[in-house]
Amino acid sequence: MERTQELFEKIEGYLTQTLSKEEVLAFEKEMAEDSELKRELEKQRELHKVLSDKDTLDFKEKLQKISAEIKKEQSRSNTYFSYWKIAASIIIILGVGTLLWNNLNKTNNFSDLYASYYKPYPVEDVTRGDTTNEWEEIVKNYSEGNYDSVISKLEKTNSFITSERIRLYLGNSYLNTGKEREALLQFEMISDASRYRETANWYRALTHLKLGETNKSLEILKEIINYNGIYKEKAMQLKAELSEL
Amino acid sequence: MNNPKERKILEGIISGDEVVIKAFYKKNYNYIRGYILQNSGEEEDAEDVFQDALVVMYQKLKSDTLDINVSIRTYFYAICKNIWRSRLRKKRKLIFDSELILVNEESEQYIIEDIEKKEREQVYRKYFLRLSDACKEVLSLVFAGNNMKEIARITGYAEGYARKKKFECKKSLLDNIEKDPMYQELKIISEKES
Repeated sequence: MERTQELFEKIEGYLTQTLSKEEVLAFEKEMAEDSELKRELEKQRELHKVLSDKDTLDFKEKLQKISAEIKKEQSRSNTYFSYWKIAASIIIILGVGTLLWNNLNKTNNFSDLYASYYKPYPVEDVTRGDTTNEWEEIVKNYSEGNYDSVISKLEKTNSFITSERIRLYLGNSYLNTGKEREALLQFEMISDASRYRETANWYRALTHLKLGETNKSLEILKEIINYNGIYKEKAMQLKAELSEL
Repeated sequence: MNNPKERKILEGIISGDEVVIKAFYKKNYNYIRGYILQNSGEEEDAEDVFQDALVVMYQKLKSDTLDINVSIRTYFYAICKNIWRSRLRKKRKLIFDSELILVNEESEQYIIEDIEKKEREQVYRKYFLRLSDACKEVLSLVFAGNNMKEIARITGYAEGYARKKKFECKKSLLDNIEKDPMYQELKIISEKES
């Protein structure tokens, strides 16, 4: 149907009831014979109805404005700076710990969920035959949360990475300094046969969660549940919470 | 909904409080964006869905039909997910895998039926807001129920020119709306139903 000014004015006249009685009758007769005309009328009726809701239109316009503002702010703020802000807030959240979590509303945001499940892999109190001062220092730094120095030490001296437990330390250090991909690599290098495999899987699941890769996270959680070990219960809880989001 | 913090957010949304809305936007956008990008969506889809879901919530608040017993976030996320799934379905890309698209059926069941109805309205608004300022002005006056004499007086146009302008603006609006693939789909569906 060709849209002409004449047609539109007739439709509007009909919708606003400003046509004469004869004109209305003629128009209705025309519509009865022409379904396309009838459809055009209904379309415009709906258009008028929707767009006369000025409040909603204004609201939508406001959202567009706010969105543009946020984008502008984000492009302005230095990404390096915000990266450290994020890293710092995660550490703070971890430090304040569970006490705070109990008081917070249940939040269903991945990073919140991550923070409520994540605890750094604890240092095992094992005395090692080959203990050196340097090794002791790494463990000490790790347990005190000086993750940067743990990373720089271990990255420099590859020979230290002799056990899979050290990979867990290194992976956790990466995880706490915003290097999730590197963390994953360490966790993934722990072999299937290892007794640390389940632990490594648990941290893998958390790392993917932190990255927002929930499908992967869920996959690994299922694996942990099937394995039926010490992380089973936590994995089930996390899976349930994740599925609720 | 007795939580005072949540109350404040709802009140902010209904009154159009930019500070409250902006805070809500910032806090929740990334999650929705992540969800949509993970489920075959683009950046632009994420923004549309997020805003349209807020519009749905706004309208419900205004008409006083918002009755929720879950947190605002849970409710809002459910609206977003349903809008996106409805759009995906129209794009015929939806893979029905409950593990892929994380859902909470319980909190959603009472939202779903509304979404479809609202979808067409969202298309109308989207294209209206993309019109030129002059078109928006004239058409707003038309939709507010002004006659051509009044419109000519308010805009300062000659009446004949105002008529012509109104026609051109409305025609281009309708043409744009009909070009939207989402609108096409909606039309087909609603014709089948009738």
